[in-house]
Amino acid sequence: MWSSEKSIILSKLSVLFFMGLLLAAVVMAPWLTRWFVDFSQAGLKVEEAVYFMGTIYVGAVPAAYLLYSLLKLLARIETGQVFTAENVELLRRISWSCFAGAGVALISLFYYYPWFFMAVAAAFMGLIVRVVKNVVAQAVELKNEADYTV
Amino acid sequence: MPIIVNLDVMMAKRKISSGELAEKIGISPANLSILKTGKAKAIRFSTMEKICKALDCQPGDILEYKPDQE
Repeated sequence: MWSSEKSIILSKLSVLFFMGLLLAAVVMAPWLTRWFVDFSQAGLKVEEAVYFMGTIYVGAVPAAYLLYSLLKLLARIETGQVFTAENVELLRRISWSCFAGAGVALISLFYYYPWFFMAVAAAFMGLIVRVVKNVVAQAVELKNEADYTV
Repeated sequence: MPIIVNLDVMMAKRKISSGELAEKIGISPANLSILKTGKAKAIRFSTMEKICKALDCQPGDILEYKPDQE
């Protein structure tokens, strides 16, 4: 039978899977970028692989922080701490990590225009998380009020 | 908060302990403590009614409005 506990475990496993993907992307960045430049139809030069590596390495920092914050958030939800100020802070950090990723993708536009789509996607995700953060912040206030109603 | 809870004053006047009052009005001692220490954000009419009944007093004896000093 499907339950909320199992759902959280699935979410945690998904986050761990993405952490593995990120680690693999960072470790294999030199080969990945070389392969991409060699097979790309965009007429990229071999020297431009360095720029792609730079984007991957710099972008990996907010991505890793985002995944770490997600894991922390899921651990807190698992222990029943849902509507807390700490979770609002974690959502805020996740949102800013998305915007940081969007920033990295925007800067990378100077050598490869399709990064624009990545920037828009990351910024949009950051916006959604920000709205969720605002909702949770209101829920925390309501919960506090309910907890302190005698 | 400009609303002052004078529950402890009223309890002293009626010579009733926190545990006894909590039991009489049917709330937990922890919730009564929240009310006594002024941490409460709201009080239900039903709770107020039980307190007034147990302490034989009026809501105004328990709650007091004191404007904040600017």
